[in-house]
Amino acid sequence: MVATSEAGIGGTDPRAAPTSKPRAEALATDKPPRRNDPVPQPLPFLLDFYPQEDPKFTRIAAFFDGLRKGWLTTTKCDADGTLSWPPRVACPTCRGEKLTWVELPRRGKLYAFSAVLGGAPLGMEQDVPFVVGLIDLEGSPLRIFSRIANVRYEDCCIGMEVVLETFDLPDGRIFYRFRPPA
Amino acid sequence: MSATRRVAVVAGGLSSFGVRSATWSELVQEAGHAAFGNIRNFSSKDVDSLFVGAAQPERLAFQSHVAPLAAELLGFEPWKILQRTELACASGQSAIRSAYAAISAGLSDVAAVVGVEKMNLPSMAEANTSMANVLDRAWDGVHGATAPPFFAMCAQRHMLEYGTTAEQMAMVSEKNHRFANTNPSAQFYSKQFSRDKLLKLPMVAPPLRLGDCSSMTDGAAGVLLVAEELARKYTDTPVWIRGTGQHSSFHNLSGAGSLSTWPGLKAAAQEAFRSAKLAPQDLDLAEVHDCFTISEIIEYEEIGFCAKGEGGTFVQEGQSDLGGKVVVNPRGGLLGCGHPLGATGVAQAVEVFQQLQGSAPPARQVPGAELALVHNLSGSANVHSLMIYGREN
Repeated sequence: MVATSEAGIGGTDPRAAPTSKPRAEALATDKPPRRNDPVPQPLPFLLDFYPQEDPKFTRIAAFFDGLRKGWLTTTKCDADGTLSWPPRVACPTCRGEKLTWVELPRRGKLYAFSAVLGGAPLGMEQDVPFVVGLIDLEGSPLRIFSRIANVRYEDCCIGMEVVLETFDLPDGRIFYRFRPPA
Repeated sequence: MSATRRVAVVAGGLSSFGVRSATWSELVQEAGHAAFGNIRNFSSKDVDSLFVGAAQPERLAFQSHVAPLAAELLGFEPWKILQRTELACASGQSAIRSAYAAISAGLSDVAAVVGVEKMNLPSMAEANTSMANVLDRAWDGVHGATAPPFFAMCAQRHMLEYGTTAEQMAMVSEKNHRFANTNPSAQFYSKQFSRDKLLKLPMVAPPLRLGDCSSMTDGAAGVLLVAEELARKYTDTPVWIRGTGQHSSFHNLSGAGSLSTWPGLKAAAQEAFRSAKLAPQDLDLAEVHDCFTISEIIEYEEIGFCAKGEGGTFVQEGQSDLGGKVVVNPRGGLLGCGHPLGATGVAQAVEVFQQLQGSAPPARQVPGAELALVHNLSGSANVHSLMIYGREN
């Protein structure tokens, strides 16, 4: 596990996340691009793909607080160093609950990719065709899946560089995806 | 530890698969008629347990608590174990494995198994939406991860690392569709797909074309499992469960590894062969989970029918066809039969049951078949489930 920023965001206990403040000095101040690209109509709750981010419904609200600051974060176990994706409230290696928020790299390279050309789920139909891929985060052991925005399938290649961007949902939630650098 | 009692399959049958003008409940009744309608010395009262494989009835039929509904439809009043199993694309095999475990442990003597899925809805967008919640919905599905792009990435890496070609993938589809032409229950029974035609079908998720992908299908299937001492009450030609294995490796796609190798399948297959005291080369036929053409190619390799990286060559040389080393997917596979999630694993068991009895249609009967394997993957190939069946116990 190299080059993962050890900045603690929201302390060690995800349950304390909504009220705790990040250690901003350890984090970059520039923000990734942010776009407003709303889903056209609200879907019934049980057809809505986006995670609940209100602390009333989740213990990892700090992840979404981080996104609002332009940070992609996750949890790392204080006891055994396990870096999880997605964020957890208990370590999947030791089941311990002492976790620290860490920032992840905002850049990565495509390990594999494809495109959705049809048969998209509700709320994504207007995006078709779109590219998705597995991204090796720069200097991190994590390989995560994401939408790859602002690019055609034909213009992608394995090893292509991508960067983080966040986007707003119409109901005030926020989420992330990747895209080629500007 | 070995099982305490041997378990036999004594009956099996299935509904027609396809885009059916029939509800979830009607499909269950059709499978019940086909599987349990004509068994020697059989009474509904014999059935002490019922296992229902159903992946998404809450979504696709807006019905939960489906095990008692199925029991009512089938005329069973189970008094030992009644349950529904959900393991996405492997829900049907999961039901069979559960029945096998119950009988071998002595908790059941006669267990009925039904697998069912109703997937074609007036709103297919809602069905597609449900398929995307099989993966990690909040973190992968939300980005548009459904089965086609995931298996497309597996194909992309396998092509890059091992030189597998689109033509070799089309050969899998061509073979399985040709077998489906012998199977009146198959979704594509009356449709012809040449390799040239397959290679011209539209892309779904590149490099996968429409003919590389199994379909959204309605269907149901059933089998009857009994303890060894009861087997010959119901049939002169029982088929025996010889072993099983399963492995779960990850769920979020961050754990998917190389994509071109599926170590979870290798581990599950090794456990299945160990428990059956058999090896890949002992098998006469295999029903494997060809949800996509690339899946079958990787499965040849990880199950051990050929060396790693040689799956494309294996199908190209006809080694998975009649007359080859092992006949793979003689009923037509998921590509040819369609893939009603909960029904698939049970339909594969029905095929193996008939093959080992020697009662499959002549056009696809594997001559002298004695040992067969069934494999299902589920989700993003993160879980693999296998069973080995034999004519002899």
